[in-house]
Amino acid sequence: MLKDSDTQLNTAGIRRRDFIVTSGAAVATAALGTIGLPTRLFAQSAKTQITFASARFFATDTMQQVIDKYNKSQNSVQVTYVELPPPSSSTEVHQQLVQQLARKNGTPDVFTQDIIWIAEFAEAGWALPLDSYFDAEVMKAYFPGIVEGCTWRGKLTAMPWFIDCGKLYYRKDILEKIGATVPQTWEQLIETAQKGVGGDVRFGFIWQGKQAEILTCDLVSFVGSNGGAILGPDGKSVKIAEPEAKAAVQLMYDTINKYKITPSDVLSWDEEPSRRPFTAGQAVFLRNWNYVWSIAQDKAQSEIVDKVEVAPLPHFAGKQSAACLGGYQYGINAFSKNKEAAVDFLRWLSTPETQLHFATTQGFAPTRQAVFDEPELAKTQPFIQKLKPVFLGALPRPVTPKYPQVTLVLQSEVSNALVKGDVSGSLDRAKAQIEKIVAS
Amino acid sequence: MATKALSTSIATVSAGAMRRGRRALAPVILMLAPSLAVLLSVSIYPVFNGLWLSLRNTSLVFQTDAFIGLDNYSAMVADPKFWNAWRNTLVFTASSTALETVLGLLMALILFETFGGRGWVRASMLIPWAIPTVVTSKMFAWMFDGQNGIVNYLLRTAGLISGNINWYGSADHALLTIVIADVWKTTPFMALLLLSGLQTIPGSLAEAARIDGASEWQYFWRIRLPLLAPTLLIAALFRALDAFRIFDLVYVLTGGGPADATEVLSTLTYKTLFSALQFGPGSALSSAIFFTEMLIALCFGIAVTRKIKAVSR
Amino acid sequence: MNASDLVSGPILARRSGGGSARALLLRVGAILIVLWSVSPFLWQLSTAFQEDKKLVSSSPSFIPDPLTFIHFYNIFVIKKFQIYLLNSIIVAGTATLLCTLFGTLTAFALARLRVRYRFGILGLILTVSMFPQIAIVGPLYLIASQLGLLDTYISLIIVYLTFGLPLMIWVLFGYFSSIPREIDESAGIDGAGPFRTLFLITLPMSLPALVTTGLISFIAAWNEFMFALAFTSDIRHQTVPVGIANFQSLYFVPWGDLSAASVVVTIPLVLMVLFFQRQIISGLTSGAVKE
Repeated sequence: MLKDSDTQLNTAGIRRRDFIVTSGAAVATAALGTIGLPTRLFAQSAKTQITFASARFFATDTMQQVIDKYNKSQNSVQVTYVELPPPSSSTEVHQQLVQQLARKNGTPDVFTQDIIWIAEFAEAGWALPLDSYFDAEVMKAYFPGIVEGCTWRGKLTAMPWFIDCGKLYYRKDILEKIGATVPQTWEQLIETAQKGVGGDVRFGFIWQGKQAEILTCDLVSFVGSNGGAILGPDGKSVKIAEPEAKAAVQLMYDTINKYKITPSDVLSWDEEPSRRPFTAGQAVFLRNWNYVWSIAQDKAQSEIVDKVEVAPLPHFAGKQSAACLGGYQYGINAFSKNKEAAVDFLRWLSTPETQLHFATTQGFAPTRQAVFDEPELAKTQPFIQKLKPVFLGALPRPVTPKYPQVTLVLQSEVSNALVKGDVSGSLDRAKAQIEKIVAS
Repeated sequence: MATKALSTSIATVSAGAMRRGRRALAPVILMLAPSLAVLLSVSIYPVFNGLWLSLRNTSLVFQTDAFIGLDNYSAMVADPKFWNAWRNTLVFTASSTALETVLGLLMALILFETFGGRGWVRASMLIPWAIPTVVTSKMFAWMFDGQNGIVNYLLRTAGLISGNINWYGSADHALLTIVIADVWKTTPFMALLLLSGLQTIPGSLAEAARIDGASEWQYFWRIRLPLLAPTLLIAALFRALDAFRIFDLVYVLTGGGPADATEVLSTLTYKTLFSALQFGPGSALSSAIFFTEMLIALCFGIAVTRKIKAVSR
Repeated sequence: MNASDLVSGPILARRSGGGSARALLLRVGAILIVLWSVSPFLWQLSTAFQEDKKLVSSSPSFIPDPLTFIHFYNIFVIKKFQIYLLNSIIVAGTATLLCTLFGTLTAFALARLRVRYRFGILGLILTVSMFPQIAIVGPLYLIASQLGLLDTYISLIIVYLTFGLPLMIWVLFGYFSSIPREIDESAGIDGAGPFRTLFLITLPMSLPALVTTGLISFIAAWNEFMFALAFTSDIRHQTVPVGIANFQSLYFVPWGDLSAASVVVTIPLVLMVLFFQRQIISGLTSGAVKE
């Protein structure tokens, strides 16, 4: 009869029961080995082996440490970590993931996918539909926007992991100085930005316009904030040339050329080149992802410690704030030979405890709404708590399996619009090209 | 007298070589085999695979894989983005190769001479090329940053410009910035090859030129340059072929933008092949790069082989 | 032509009146070369010892203030940069040695032994190198994966060998072609076959070209990124460019760490060049032809 103490963790972290079982098995194996009986039956580990492929995220701890925690916590599944390039090399991560999944041989059993690949993997039949394992009740605990991003053709093919979205960082000290409130509309932002510049503060509003994926993210924020869209919900009707979208891109152009609150350098800036002037104290407003917060509060990196606050992005008058969703989510290989084990691992990854762990160690904002209210989160990452309202209004980028091609067209044509000023012409061209892509 | 003995020996040896014809084959094969084996085995499959894919519409995601003839090529040729990239690539290749050849030659001529500390100067010349490209790209992105970059700061302080130049965020300057970055990084390659080429010019010619009263410039233009020509052409050829395939610098610095102003064939191919996973169109683009390179190589190659045949006579 | 023609050291012609002007020009040229080549690297060096936020200050300073070693700590202790360095040395070094060996053999055969269609073979070698590398990553990845060669040194060494051979062969071919045939033939009289001629006579005379092309292929292998990223996924086999790319997780670029890494990477290369530079400019050894 096993006592309670046997199951509790001792300081070495090894459950005594496990120790007894394993060493007993080892002795038995050795003994049987000498007799010549098949030792497989008494193998030390009857754990199901599954592989987990993920982009190489790291901060104060690594993915390997998280996986070790899972492996130690139970006895039936052993996860091997297959490391992909870091998410900064996202094209390589995508490519390697596609090559592995396309082999359809069941490895990796579990993987992580950028939110923009979900429709593609689902359409290709590589991602296992998860509705039978995680029903609608369970999914209510997550942000609706992210669940939408994880669904393709009505089926849930990804489990939410962490959420990131564009947000407005602002200098509360400058706003106080000029007596302005946090802008709700773009007009207010422009006005505040124009008033707030002066001295060291050279820029009113910084965003990212480099001809790369980030441009599509910024585009989605602007267009969504005017109630527009790039693709309709059916994934086939192209709305990028509608008046709402054109007005949004026109606004992007105007911040640089008409209102002059944005330097034309944003056309070559992505996340870091746009973050640096802001944390050096040279700008009033910045649109960027979650990661800027911890850097802004780091004395070795930032001149604006304790002078920054965060808010949802502004919107056009009468419309709603929109932010572009980012973040990686989980998926299970449709051809996995160990689906039950994979689901067990996925369940563990999706528990509030694990989400909290990712939040405190990596700064990954949880996708479960309830985790935001955890007191530990308030202590270690108070910033994330403030973000809940921002995430509620977050929108995914166009959900289509042809997203990689669509985004390349958007990047090219929108960059054209921002450089040459012919917003209408560029967006009409974009519409024509995208229609051809999604129709085929 | 030594020459006479030599010439009789040459006659003897040549005659002997004729007789040894058959036996001479074995060393030839042994010497050629390792290189050819490696080169062919590594490149044959990918090259043919690429050509094969360019004639099909293979897609891993949509599970298509059918022969479509030259459709990928006709679509590519009709696409203005392709010609934009092709043009940008040619402009970049021509300007960077030309600049690097001239600068490299200047450097080689200087480094060839004896002066105090020349070892250090030679070593320092190689630094730009030794720094990993991943670092150089980010370094130039930061140095040429329009707002906080050190280049603008220095130019303004020196009074050469009044306001900041938007180096690679403006469609007008972006390609220039990339050329500057590439010239800085790769001139050492040319300088090194040309320096080594200057070795092959016999010293007696300099003496003869001096005796004849030729000026430095005449010596260079009439004697050194023609003798350097084979090395120069080979180095320029390889440099041009590499420049045509430029990728890292452009992708990190500008992503091909703004407004496709710096889109080169490699970045376009990378986006099509890796990001969009369109193997057919991507392979067609690769073939376009390949065929254009063959054209460039053909022009150079003819010039080079003529020079080598002339020199070794 | 006799042996003294083969000695091509630098020419210090003392022309009347032009000598000092020439020396001055040389000095100025040398200084410009150093400034042009080294200043960005010095800026990197300075950044490696500074706090990241100093990078964006409106008046950048070259002298680090305050001086910090945190970046070097980060790259060696936390990111284990030394492992990447070792891998790079192994991979680039082996690739260069093999490239030099194979390339020398091939170039010698094409230049000296009567090979039919030698310009055809040279053309083929060149052609093989012209296919864009981004297009061959995919198929080679598949092959490597099927052969179980992913995450090994061998796959990278073979690939880098392929990239370095064409240039090595062409340059050495040009170099060997310019060496007078009499030298070979006089060796032939002594009874030396092609291998003996190559290793005992031609190679010692070709040290400049060998060191030059060796350096070129070493640095090319050292800096290569795409294949290294595709073929390796474990720190035990990843090379320096991949290691540096791994400094960046999602968005944040640790600029100070990056600068520290580039300094660490560049210094051994510079030392190597300093060591070898005497061979890059060396007179051809005398005694090849006995008069």
